[in-house]
Amino acid sequence: MKISVNWLKNYITVNRSIPKLIEALDSIGLLVDNWEERDDDVILEIETYANRPDTLGHLGVARELAAVFGSTIKKQNWPLTEIEERTSENIDIQICDDKLCPRYCGIIVKDIEIGPSPLWLADKIKAMGLKPINNVVDVSNYVLYSTAHPIHAFDLAKVTGKKITIRRAKNKEVLKSLEGKNIQLSDTDIVIADEKKPIALAGIIGGEETSISEYTRDVFIESAIFNPVSIRKSRKKAGIQTDASFRFERGADISFPPTAALMVASILTQMGGKATKGIMDIYPKPVKNKTVVIRNHRIAALLGVEIEDAFIEKTLSSLEFEVSVQQKGIWQVKVPFFRIDIEREADLIEEIARFYGYDKIPSQLPPLTGLEPVINQKRKILSKLRQMLLSYGFNEVVNLSFSDPKKETKFKNSRERIKIRNPISSKASLLKTTLIAGLLDNIIWNKNRGAEGICAFEVGNIYFWENDSCIEQLNLALVASGTVGLTHWQTKIYETDFYHIKGTCEALMTHLRYEPFSFQEEDHPNYKEGHSLSLLFKGQRVGSLGLLKKEILDAFYLEGNIWAAEIALNTLLEKQPQNFQYSPVTRYPRVSRDISFIADRKVSYQEIKEVLENHSIPCLEKFELYDRFSGLSIPKGKISLSFRFVFRHFKRTLLAEEVDNTQKKIIKTLKDNFNFQLREGGEIDK
Amino acid sequence: MQKFQNRVETYKKSFDEASSLIKDENSLRELRNLYMSRTRGYITLLFSELKALSQEEKPEAGRLLNSFKNYVLEKLQSTKKCLAVSKEATQKKDLTLPGRQKYLGSPHPILLFQREIEDIFLGMGFSIESGPEIETDYYNFEALNFPPHHPARDDWDTLYITDDILLRTHTSPVQIRVMEKKKPPIRIITPGKVFRKETPDPTHLPMFYQVEGLVVDYGITFAHLKGTLEYFLKALFHEKIKIRFRPSFFPFTEPSAEVDIECTVCGGKNKACRICGGSGWIEILGSGMIDPQVFKNVNINPERYSGFAFGLGIDRTAMFSYQISDLRFFYENDLRFIRQFLQK
Repeated sequence: MKISVNWLKNYITVNRSIPKLIEALDSIGLLVDNWEERDDDVILEIETYANRPDTLGHLGVARELAAVFGSTIKKQNWPLTEIEERTSENIDIQICDDKLCPRYCGIIVKDIEIGPSPLWLADKIKAMGLKPINNVVDVSNYVLYSTAHPIHAFDLAKVTGKKITIRRAKNKEVLKSLEGKNIQLSDTDIVIADEKKPIALAGIIGGEETSISEYTRDVFIESAIFNPVSIRKSRKKAGIQTDASFRFERGADISFPPTAALMVASILTQMGGKATKGIMDIYPKPVKNKTVVIRNHRIAALLGVEIEDAFIEKTLSSLEFEVSVQQKGIWQVKVPFFRIDIEREADLIEEIARFYGYDKIPSQLPPLTGLEPVINQKRKILSKLRQMLLSYGFNEVVNLSFSDPKKETKFKNSRERIKIRNPISSKASLLKTTLIAGLLDNIIWNKNRGAEGICAFEVGNIYFWENDSCIEQLNLALVASGTVGLTHWQTKIYETDFYHIKGTCEALMTHLRYEPFSFQEEDHPNYKEGHSLSLLFKGQRVGSLGLLKKEILDAFYLEGNIWAAEIALNTLLEKQPQNFQYSPVTRYPRVSRDISFIADRKVSYQEIKEVLENHSIPCLEKFELYDRFSGLSIPKGKISLSFRFVFRHFKRTLLAEEVDNTQKKIIKTLKDNFNFQLREGGEIDK
Repeated sequence: MQKFQNRVETYKKSFDEASSLIKDENSLRELRNLYMSRTRGYITLLFSELKALSQEEKPEAGRLLNSFKNYVLEKLQSTKKCLAVSKEATQKKDLTLPGRQKYLGSPHPILLFQREIEDIFLGMGFSIESGPEIETDYYNFEALNFPPHHPARDDWDTLYITDDILLRTHTSPVQIRVMEKKKPPIRIITPGKVFRKETPDPTHLPMFYQVEGLVVDYGITFAHLKGTLEYFLKALFHEKIKIRFRPSFFPFTEPSAEVDIECTVCGGKNKACRICGGSGWIEILGSGMIDPQVFKNVNINPERYSGFAFGLGIDRTAMFSYQISDLRFFYENDLRFIRQFLQK
């Protein structure tokens, strides 16, 4: 809201410097966002709040300042040049529903010559950043910016008949607004209608036909109150926001319409017009002032500071509240009509706090009383997961939850996607059902900026419909492409591959103790055939990983190989990880044996692993595959596998014969199961 | 057999003696040839003697010889290693060559900043709560004292899924959900993603992170709100930062306060300051005493209990803290940007 300091002077004496004035306004919550000097005036840009429509005019801001300065609002006189003819002879006003229009005032000013506004008025309009239009329109705006009360002026000659009705619009009625736009009306709109048709969309905008033109002579002035909710619904439906609707939907001072009408009429008569006698005032159910009780002990209890009775009485009175003492420390407060925000004791306590000064309220730390220890398991797990992935060289990213349908639909899944009804753009009209899309956006972004390899992860929700409810599922997604590592003279950077992403998944499950976990070959619609696995925890599928399909990469203009994994963290977090338990260590040494086999290519590592694990080989601490190759020295269809077997007895040193025997057993087992042959030179002299 | 065993022992003794005297690679090679040469090495010769032994003696002798062979091989290997080490020790290394570093992933700056904020509140006895990002109108607005069709809703421009289902515009619904379930004392913070219908520009995005807090107990006052938030802001920025509380409006608090910190960039001296717009202050937190209507909505008696709530935008605060000019940098995930935060 623009506030002119000169204009404020119509209501109060301002004898402070601008910085002091700004400080005072800031301290009571009328934040001055900006200010500028303009033609001997200073224009303040004040932040206003939805609950304080009274501050949407100079009078309201002046009232607040008067309370700070301890002064009062200057009384203004609105003299009127009247003719004998009564207003009611010219016009008949009927309100059809006082819930929609609780009060409607009207007066007519005749013989007004339409023309440019006098200098003082034009200056005021310019101060508000507007262009003066003509004297009648400018006076309406002047009253609006002065008092926050919207006014509408009709060209009386264009109004058909004498009867003005405030009613619901009929379906299919149309109003051509003074902006030239045809507004389709319905019975949820309130209209001002003459004997033929609607002439204004109440409280929002007037019709073109009855608007003030250079030929207008007689003006019908409307000053009313309309239902805020109706105004809001109608203006949203019509897609218009005006100064009037902005104020009406926030609520207006119900005592004010006659004064506002008088102000307009008075100024217009000063410009040569003549007012009809008596303001018509249709006010079917006059409203009483609200009364609220305020107790000093509640002020102390809420603010944490003792405030003297005298200060409380003085503050409320200076804000034009009528205060009467009920008993010591308890007051009954009559709320002026312009303060629509004050309804309860808490609202009054805020008034006391505002004028006492937030800066004068002490600072204290709240006492810690009986708090229960909280173990946030989820946070612990997520924090560990994050640390682990960072140490594995994956960068953490955050993407917006929205997705572009063109890209999103390339990812095949059975989830019903959630559409946003009013998206910011068609490219962000869905909610994600996979985090991988965002990660691919990140890859292309970084590739285009010279990155040679990208490993990234994101933890976040995906969203979908299920049985008529919106489901959010916390996921983890990983992507790897290009090279990893740092360039160094001794060590080489390497290309990411399937095992890079798989190893990260394995490490993650192990570190978080989600064991036993396993992988299963699976054809997944998003991955290249034969290049994807599903991840299972205790036999339940919790995710998948693989080489992304070309069709998906194409949608992102990506080339090359990109490996990805996506894991349903929700599912994992619902499950109990294995208990952590340390195992004692032994002082007895280990014996290790390296054995190389020639194996059939078709035998999978998983099968070998299962056989070795299921054979409960005595004292076998672990086995590791440390080499795997094929080549000229290896027969076709075969592969060389080298394992290191580590043996240890917990309570004594192992004997060589024991290890020899076990080794024979291992070789036999693998021979029997998979027809493994010892590779010649399998035990090579070193 | 005994004789054979003795011979092996003798060889072992002389091998030990010889190996202990090795000083360079040449003498090591000679010793290796002496024992291991495939034609005339002592061990090769010993193997050929096996043929002369009886069938009963052969296995035992073979085992003996094999173990001697292994012994020799291992010893030669270890002596070789020793020589290599001492050789390296005498050669001057270029210690100025770069050491080996590891490629670490970088944390995302917003989540890093969220951590910092969480840690401060955890230290003050707050716990962390979370809730759904897709909310109902009731939890996002009505329970928080936004009547339907109230213009205050305009300040929280909303993305809707249906008439009643929306993307939460703040994390306040979590406060309602916690108060519905838990009786005071309550001391929580609720970090998370929130959504607004905003067209992206340097200071607006349709999604950002927020952290809100809530304290409910007997005798909680505005003074406690001030004390808590001052402590928090000093811990987050620095001890001497200037803080200002000024009246504001939120439907869910009464009285309400906005919290500003001084602009550390211009100190209020630059009318065209990009950060504070010349006012010298930066809005950092919204806060206030819980509105009695909100308490009634969750069945907490406002005459018995009181409380305060606050909220801040993590992105916005991080932007200010790191002097980042464009909010969108956080969500472009440019590694050149993100990876700088490895050092934070």
